[in-house]
Amino acid sequence: MSTLQNYINAFTSTFLVEESDLANLKYQDIAAWDSVGHMSLMAALEEIFGIEMDIDDIIDFSSFEAGKKIMLKYNVKMD
Amino acid sequence: MADFHKPKHVDAVIPLKHLADLKVRVVAGSTLADLQCKALPPFSMEAVAFLTAWSKRLLSRQDVRDLPDVASFGFWCRPANLARLHRQLNLEPLRIGRGVALHIAPSNVPVNFAFSYAIGLLAGTVNIVRVPESLPVQAYLLCEIAKDLLAQSEHALIASMNTLISYTRNDTVTQSLSAVADVRLLWGGDQTVQHLRHMSASPRCIDIAFADRYSLCLLSAPAVLTAHKKALRDLTVGFYNDAFLLDQNACSSPHLILWQGTEEEVEAAQERFWDAMQALLMTKAQLPGIHAIEKFNHLCRSAIKIRGCKASPTRDNRIFRVSLDEVPENIADNRGRYGFFFETIDNDLAKLRRIVNMRYQTLTCFGVDPHVLAQQVISSRLAGIDRVVPVGQALDIGVIWDGYDLIRTMSRIVATQ
Repeated sequence: MSTLQNYINAFTSTFLVEESDLANLKYQDIAAWDSVGHMSLMAALEEIFGIEMDIDDIIDFSSFEAGKKIMLKYNVKMD
Repeated sequence: MADFHKPKHVDAVIPLKHLADLKVRVVAGSTLADLQCKALPPFSMEAVAFLTAWSKRLLSRQDVRDLPDVASFGFWCRPANLARLHRQLNLEPLRIGRGVALHIAPSNVPVNFAFSYAIGLLAGTVNIVRVPESLPVQAYLLCEIAKDLLAQSEHALIASMNTLISYTRNDTVTQSLSAVADVRLLWGGDQTVQHLRHMSASPRCIDIAFADRYSLCLLSAPAVLTAHKKALRDLTVGFYNDAFLLDQNACSSPHLILWQGTEEEVEAAQERFWDAMQALLMTKAQLPGIHAIEKFNHLCRSAIKIRGCKASPTRDNRIFRVSLDEVPENIADNRGRYGFFFETIDNDLAKLRRIVNMRYQTLTCFGVDPHVLAQQVISSRLAGIDRVVPVGQALDIGVIWDGYDLIRTMSRIVATQ
């Protein structure tokens, strides 16, 4: 599975949303992505990509798009 | 030496058969009589695997959405954080848990027993964890999942050396458990801790006592005034979590706020900060009437007891503030709850230096570097303050707590020279 698809799956499985809703999705746009949902998402991404995220990156992770840039810091590139 | 004076401390590898008759309810894990008293090295694969599974189960549950403290625990024991903690601790390689750890958890912080237990698991001890008898919803959920996981074959080793029990407060039971403990983690008020300490333990037993503590907050007025919208929002949410989430009942929740800045700056910053707090509180659950009355009572008590105490106007009883020019040395005996704060200006921290004693635990701060403040604790040779962290992290229990390096204290070194 591609890196992007893994990234997408982390969102869809954590928030139970459709892939088509992700492009513009931001933190707190939907009930599922609240502070608790955020923790689940971060834990899921860490597990899928085998990374340890810094607290600053966890705080800055504000949208589906912004998250892609943060993932780059951990050598997780979406092709 | 006459053997009959020795407490009945069984050989660490023999199960605690003599505890079979104790009237306790096993909430999760092994029975006391079958407990395998063989410790593990810190951060063992088995312990990490169990905590990882616990974390995963907690974070994937819908009902945890309404329990941010449970979610925070689940987030704390996720594998990436455990790996980070392990690396940061940089433990000596030849370490092993110190036998049996008895955890007497408090009831004021529902998830506390889980942190205490998790730290025991990471240290490698065998753990007997007393959980409160009437479990709040958070503790119930944590226990149910732990029970389920410990019944799985992949966690059999952890299950064999861990037990979560509950019993009606009973000194005979606690005394029997205490007698087999090599480490006691005693959480509770000063009286509870004193009472527990009087119970005999093994001669080499180490007590880690978390008694009554007092915590406070330092806010820079210029930083509050210049904070942009998101930073102010984060500050208020953080302060809400530190102070309001547990009604100021936690040891690390702030009761006194020290402001830094000129009088004008502080006045303006107070207005900005408390207005934002008020707005945030309006979105939360309604304030129970009894809490408003308790705060008003405390205000009256404070007015009688403390010279020069000036009440700042309250809008709707959600926040009670008392401004002090001078802070009495015993301010820690005057703590309020449910959103009751003393405030003062302390630019050179002279007031802080005068009041600090061993009871002072957490100093949360905003707009001031925590490292600089921590250095000042040492250079001023203060008797208290074990922790300086940004606002919002007061309740984040860590492996360094109350000034103890818990993993190192709960494990022993096997020296080769």
